[in-house]
Amino acid sequence: MTTKDKYKKVAYYPGCALEGSGHSYNRSTKAVGKALGLDLVEVKNWNCCGAMEVKNIDPKIQTYLSSRVMSTAANEMDMDVVMAPCNGCYHNLKKAEYDLKNDAESAEVVDRLSKKAGHKTYESGQVETIHALDWIKDTIGEEGLKSRVKNSLSGIKVANYYGCMYTRPRHIFPEKDQGPGSESTSKPHFMDDLLAAAGAENVDFPLKTACCGGAHTLSDSDMSTKLVLNILQAAKLAGADVIATECPTCHSGLEMHQIRAEKTLGETVDIKILYFTQLLGMALGLKARKVGVHENISDSIRFLKEKGLG
Amino acid sequence: MPIHEKSLIRPEDLETHDDMVLDGVDVSGHWSTFIKTRVVSDYNEALEEEIAALPGGEHIHRCWQCGSCTNSCTVNAVNPDFNPRYWIYLIRMGMESELLRDKDIIWQCVSCNKCTYACPRDVFPEGVMKATSHWLERKGHTPKSPSTHFDEVFTEQVVATGKIEESRTMRRFFTRTKQALMQDWMVEMVKRMLRGLPVGMLTRMGLATLVAPRTSDWSRASAAIQEYIDEQHEEQENALNLAQLVETAKRDAA
Repeated sequence: MTTKDKYKKVAYYPGCALEGSGHSYNRSTKAVGKALGLDLVEVKNWNCCGAMEVKNIDPKIQTYLSSRVMSTAANEMDMDVVMAPCNGCYHNLKKAEYDLKNDAESAEVVDRLSKKAGHKTYESGQVETIHALDWIKDTIGEEGLKSRVKNSLSGIKVANYYGCMYTRPRHIFPEKDQGPGSESTSKPHFMDDLLAAAGAENVDFPLKTACCGGAHTLSDSDMSTKLVLNILQAAKLAGADVIATECPTCHSGLEMHQIRAEKTLGETVDIKILYFTQLLGMALGLKARKVGVHENISDSIRFLKEKGLG
Repeated sequence: MPIHEKSLIRPEDLETHDDMVLDGVDVSGHWSTFIKTRVVSDYNEALEEEIAALPGGEHIHRCWQCGSCTNSCTVNAVNPDFNPRYWIYLIRMGMESELLRDKDIIWQCVSCNKCTYACPRDVFPEGVMKATSHWLERKGHTPKSPSTHFDEVFTEQVVATGKIEESRTMRRFFTRTKQALMQDWMVEMVKRMLRGLPVGMLTRMGLATLVAPRTSDWSRASAAIQEYIDEQHEEQENALNLAQLVETAKRDAA
């Protein structure tokens, strides 16, 4: 695995969720970056990427919002790479990149809005958007991680849950499905690879890219609860102690509907939910508090202590 | 079940007879289940164009009915009546009244994009579902769905401030959909959150509730986006002939 030096200093786009419900993901991503000697420079005065909701109102406004973030990174900060740990932000920046390259009408609308808003129009290709998984995998890699692990995750059985936005639809991720070494859209494995390097035992989990119903967490809660319950039960059946997540919407969806399934359906599934960066951080010797385990709703502190972590 | 495709046919369209002889042949009982003859006469020939005029619906004409969308659909696995392939068929055929029978569930698409991933014709079925639920609302066939209310509350906040502060979005959503803010599972969730005593996080969240986070120098971007939204809204009203619809309704009332 070749490491990519250009990922060692990236523009960091946390996004709105990481300043609210996903704060422990923000905290753990930064802590892991620091522990690995990687440089994160937050995108100046960033705005919302448009998420699913603005896309539903009008996809071109979402494209504009995402393009403004990339324009700032490229034109005002002179950065080549934007790293977004949130699946939603990552997906939207990728989608904007695709649309600007392939759809003249989107490019025209973005140009018009950028001029009116008074900033430089983002041109496709100015930056490369990557996920936190790419960032660690391509700079440090499995071998690099193995040599840095202080507290192995051995004895922890993990179901790696990637969610929808990291792999679908595939046309917005041209670098995926490119053979050995690249990420797969049907059977993603980057999170599995990293956590295995940190000593965890990955279980064979069939619902890696199933949907948690995050789009309708509040607007169609019964549907979300059913979908989440399915994921929790499948992970439990696969023998997992922990579901590792990489998206604040999935993560808080799993946590919220784990409780809602208990309250409304009487179904209790005892499984811990942790961000993959929290697991990695503790493997690198960081304290549980440093990676924000106390900010999660799902309580895994005692479990982690038993396993000699944090 | 006498015929295994029975689940594909609406129950009210199936007929069995306890005692019936046709041309000297006994056709009683479930061995001789009949499907009622159906005559469709009220085609809306503009239906496909109207859906295609709304964001997400642009590529509906590409569909060749392979069914990959329904086959891969997350919601279909929970509710078999949720059938994107069939709805695309109905829209392209102009069978509006048949489509309207499912009007209350189309908005339930969770946007997981499994259909878009599976579709060999790049129809973007996920977008078609959004366009169709917006079409139903704009034409007055359904009230705004909770999902649309959420999208609007969210978008209004992004346009106004450039960012989202989640608790504000939640509160506004619950107010607009007239739901109680503190449902018992939420109370439980908050209790569990407090247990870890994340003081720093609570302080930050408390501050965010008082002073919304915002992108600075946002006013020009905000105005540009709002102008674009209004312009699109007007174009869509024309494409859907909404002014005429209102006129006709007024005339009928008078």
